Amino acid sequence: MPLPSDYPEFLASDHLSGRTRDILVTRLEDDRLQAPRVLSPKAFAVLEAILPVLLPQEDILGNSPLNLAVRIDTALAGPRDGWRFAELPPDVTAWEQALLTLDDLAQAQHSMPFPALNASEIGQTLDELAEGRHGINAANRLTPEQMQKWSFDLRADAIECFLADARVQDALGISANLNGGDGVFQGFQTVDANERESFEPSPKFPSAKPRDKTFP
Amino acid sequence: MKTYAETEILDVIVIGSGAGGAPLAARLAQAGKSVLVLEAGPSFSPSRYTSDEIEAREIYWLHERLSGGRNPQPFGGNNSGTGVGGSLLHYGAFLPRPHAGDFRLHTETGRSVDWPFSYEELLPYIEEVEAFIGVSGPSNYPWDPTRRYAYAPPPANPAAMKMREACDAVGIRHADGPTALITRDFNQPHFGTRKACANCGACHQGCRNGAKSGADNTWLPLAVAHGAEIRSGCHVHTIETNQAGRVTGVVYTRNGENVRQRCERLVLSAGAVETARLLLHNELANSSGQVGENYMTHISTQIWGEIDEEVRPNRGYPSLTITEDMMRPKDADFAGGYLIQSLGMMPITWASNIARGSKRRGADLVRTLAGYNRSIGMGIHGDCMPSPENRVVLSDEKDALGLPKPLITHSYGPNELAMHAHASRLLTRMWEAIGAKDLRLLDRAAHMMGTARMGTESGSAVVTPYGQSFDIDNLWISDHSTFPSATAANPALTIMALSLRTADAMLKN
Ligand SMILES: Cc1cc2nc3c(=O)[nH]c(=O)nc-3n(C[C@H](O)[C@H](O)[C@H](O)COP(=O)(O)OP(=O)(O)OC[C@H]3O[C@@H](n4cnc5c(N)ncnc54)[C@H](O)[C@@H]3O)c2cc1C
Ligand code: SF4
Repeated sequence: MPLPSDYPEFLASDHLSGRTRDILVTRLEDDRLQAPRVLSPKAFAVLEAILPVLLPQEDILGNSPLNLAVRIDTALAGPRDGWRFAELPPDVTAWEQALLTLDDLAQAQHSMPFPALNASEIGQTLDELAEGRHGINAANRLTPEQMQKWSFDLRADAIECFLADARVQDALGISANLNGGDGVFQGFQTVDANERESFEPSPKFPSAKPRDKTFP
Repeated sequence: MKTYAETEILDVIVIGSGAGGAPLAARLAQAGKSVLVLEAGPSFSPSRYTSDEIEAREIYWLHERLSGGRNPQPFGGNNSGTGVGGSLLHYGAFLPRPHAGDFRLHTETGRSVDWPFSYEELLPYIEEVEAFIGVSGPSNYPWDPTRRYAYAPPPANPAAMKMREACDAVGIRHADGPTALITRDFNQPHFGTRKACANCGACHQGCRNGAKSGADNTWLPLAVAHGAEIRSGCHVHTIETNQAGRVTGVVYTRNGENVRQRCERLVLSAGAVETARLLLHNELANSSGQVGENYMTHISTQIWGEIDEEVRPNRGYPSLTITEDMMRPKDADFAGGYLIQSLGMMPITWASNIARGSKRRGADLVRTLAGYNRSIGMGIHGDCMPSPENRVVLSDEKDALGLPKPLITHSYGPNELAMHAHASRLLTRMWEAIGAKDLRLLDRAAHMMGTARMGTESGSAVVTPYGQSFDIDNLWISDHSTFPSATAANPALTIMALSLRTADAMLKN
């Protein structure tokens, strides 16, 4: 079945296995769901507010960014990756409580809900989280130490959901999934620097390109 | 494959089909024993492995582990594997030999512990493993000129090339590292054709053409050819004993049903977390109080940087260049040492290391991610000492099978911190020497060892130097949980060599 014309070209390559193609194509459709499955609307709104400050997408995807909050919520609803920090409750609970902690703190410090904060206030919150300076000692909320650990999970999950998308891989010129097809498992003919094979996407985002101007 | 009835009493049951379980299963089956390997995970078809790092998690152990301590390990992609073949399904296939000095670090330095036998005693087994599974390496290995490898190394990717330059710049030796993969097609007896490495770079997501030397394409087919049964999807939860305290069999869950299978002897090869968890949960073999204790990792500090070339770190065997010059650095303020390897990496693994290892955000984070195709890395594996702080215990939470989830506590001690600091300085100097930009050091630990250590005294060790329980004479352990200290080398080769040695001891016993 031919792929829609706005899908990345590399999805049609015979250097991609059928199973990997199916995974990537299915994932491209993941954004259609708009409502969260596991997070409460209030927690989800905090997540929606924090992600563009953590990981702004416009430079890479122009004006059709991924709905990262939905993808993270979907990932939380599915099988997780087999571990968690001992100091945190199970993942879904930890995310819900962490996001509500952020909202409570925004109310306490700025007298407004978290989603109403401006980008620089949210950025400052992210820095304080990473330094273990942002949290609450109360039931169903996370302490600064717990929030610090959760903030690493937030960063990791956001980045994983982002890079797992075929459009992002295409924009950054990443060929990791083009490592061999089903009929012939080609691998890579060359592994040398500056030797791109014809089937590998070229980077479309300026800072993903080599700075050496002599390289085409 | 032969199958055994549930009513049969097996000579040997092995729990786990990885580096610890598979060589031993083959050896015992070859000697005519009836062997059943119970494996919790499924049997995968290599052609279906996917480079998609999210879906490739199917080959990780996904029963939740709780990670604590001052240096909690983010298991994720670093976690144990599951499936017929164990963690070797997704291991990186870097296969250095352990350093002889690491077996007598206590004698050498007064710190850590000695192994209960010498490297020389293990060497014949190491050579046997290498010859059987297929290992590539250089024709002249600078740290051991007598050594020979059967296969030529795979091509060096840019990270490997840059690490060579960086070593030259700071005056340390380098070589192509020993890698558990084959670089020409080979007809593996009882398995079939294994193709030469295609430089696909996805070793951690499962090798699709049989080039990587694991258990699934070497030891397990050999075991099956000699009458062993590998039964997948069987999660053992209960070890049964008689009044004399000897093991009589196990109970496992398969498709939701409990099945009992009896045996004369039981071998635990479930890995350092699960072996300890099984023993703790069944309250067995722990008169020493050492089960679960002395959990160890490798200090695995990494450095990443960018160069003005399109390197595509996903291409080629990921970690080819090695130096062993830091096994005993002259300016060391710590005991033991570390090896350094070059690093390529698949994008999501790479990015989530950065996510967890830095505080970057906004445009800065986006620029970092966009630099993937220009990124080169190096990482160390450093020896780690046993410490009473670090352990696996049962938590209060239960998993879907009703078993307590394991809680793993991991903190670096002064020796580990000093080694990490030494390596951080050297790695930085090396990447600066070749002009890499935007350097990022990642403080991380990898692998898992200890928790059922071997030793000569029953009061301080769980098993004998051959892997036999001091408390229960028909219970044996063959996996990385028996390591008394970590040693710097990546562990799979040592585990496989110990596995053959344990099998020989069982045959003599
Ligand atoms: C990402 C990664 C990369 C690595 N790279 C390298 C490398 O390059 N070189 C190297 O030397 N080492 C490497 N290692 C380490 C190496 O893979 C492991 O140390 C080694 O494979 C462990 O072997 P094992 O037999 O002790 O345990 P495992 O291989 O983990 O075996 C345990 C098996 O037992 C099964 N099991 C567990 N509990 C039960 C139960 N209750 N019932 C039934 N079955 C059970 C599991 O499903 C699993 O298959 C790497 C590890 C990881 C995670
Ligand atoms: S790089 Fe080689 S050994 Fe590794 S998965 Fe690809 S083909 Fe297999």
